[in-house]
Amino acid sequence: MVAATSIQGWVLFATFIGFGGLIRDLNFPLGAAVLSTFLIWAMPAQVLLVSGWAAGNAAAVIALAVGLSSVRMFPMTASLMPYLRPKRGGVFVQLLAAHFVAVTAWVEGSKRLPHMHKDRRVPFFFGMGMALVGLSTVSTLVGYELAGTLPHALATGLLFLTPISFLLQMSSNARDIVDKAALAFGLGFAPVFAEIGGQLDMLWTGLAGGSAAWLLHRILKRRKK
Amino acid sequence: MSLLEGPLWPYLLVILAGFLPTEIFRSLAVFFARGLDEDSEILIFVRGVATALLAAVIARLVLFPSGDLLSLPLALRVGAVALGFAVFLLARRSVFLGILAGEALIIAGAWYGQSSS
Repeated sequence: MVAATSIQGWVLFATFIGFGGLIRDLNFPLGAAVLSTFLIWAMPAQVLLVSGWAAGNAAAVIALAVGLSSVRMFPMTASLMPYLRPKRGGVFVQLLAAHFVAVTAWVEGSKRLPHMHKDRRVPFFFGMGMALVGLSTVSTLVGYELAGTLPHALATGLLFLTPISFLLQMSSNARDIVDKAALAFGLGFAPVFAEIGGQLDMLWTGLAGGSAAWLLHRILKRRKK
Repeated sequence: MSLLEGPLWPYLLVILAGFLPTEIFRSLAVFFARGLDEDSEILIFVRGVATALLAAVIARLVLFPSGDLLSLPLALRVGAVALGFAVFLLARRSVFLGILAGEALIIAGAWYGQSSS
């Protein structure tokens, strides 16, 4: 619960206020938007879905765009899973836990899970995940009600909250050289791949930045020996 | 009226075109990571890819923003990130003060830009 009420919790609150405003603008049903928070639980995918719906795109086209944006769930989930191994329930509990993986839970999870006792990790992660989903649902409703009433300067500030807070949280959490280097390479490569990478630019940035960071980690490790 | 136009269509779309294409990657990752140790080299590599991917998401939000943020010049958006990061480092890695500094510049810029235009 402490994690869910931290800075990242406030950022999520602000992000879903924006989502609530967006669906009202697009005339997307509020119930389906709440369902998307429960079932999809990934803001970029949700935005792609509702804007695709509003544009009248075919379901297959929307599914493809959502799938591409959600490929990043793979490395995020894989890197958390070794910390989420329940004593009982096995793979079923792991699949449920994986559902809560999204940027916020990944940032908080990577920071807190490694320092926790093995028995406390799975309950912590479920508690945090459910608190975050609940908070986001409330924020969607608030944003839906507030839509169009926020002053321009404040609405601009809300949109900037996501990039600045994620950058600083990730910088503060970066433990090893691979974390710091991946962050730096990712930021540096992103504009380059945005020019040449086409639709999959973020995926290429992730692969290239992650590989470069891992190579640096290997070189430094070998030197130490 | 077909299902494709009915009031239930957005709900079905959430499940078919939203939930399934997202959850597949989370589920695949669960099976991929089974039996892997938390300190294994492959997971250190995967952690690097995840971190770089999120860095790319951050960069995109600043370089190619949407909505109200688009009304601010690129230099101001990048400047606010740099200011936030500098304050974060100077204030003994305080995430809160860093966010506050970056936000102050963005909100002031949006306020000023609005009143001058």
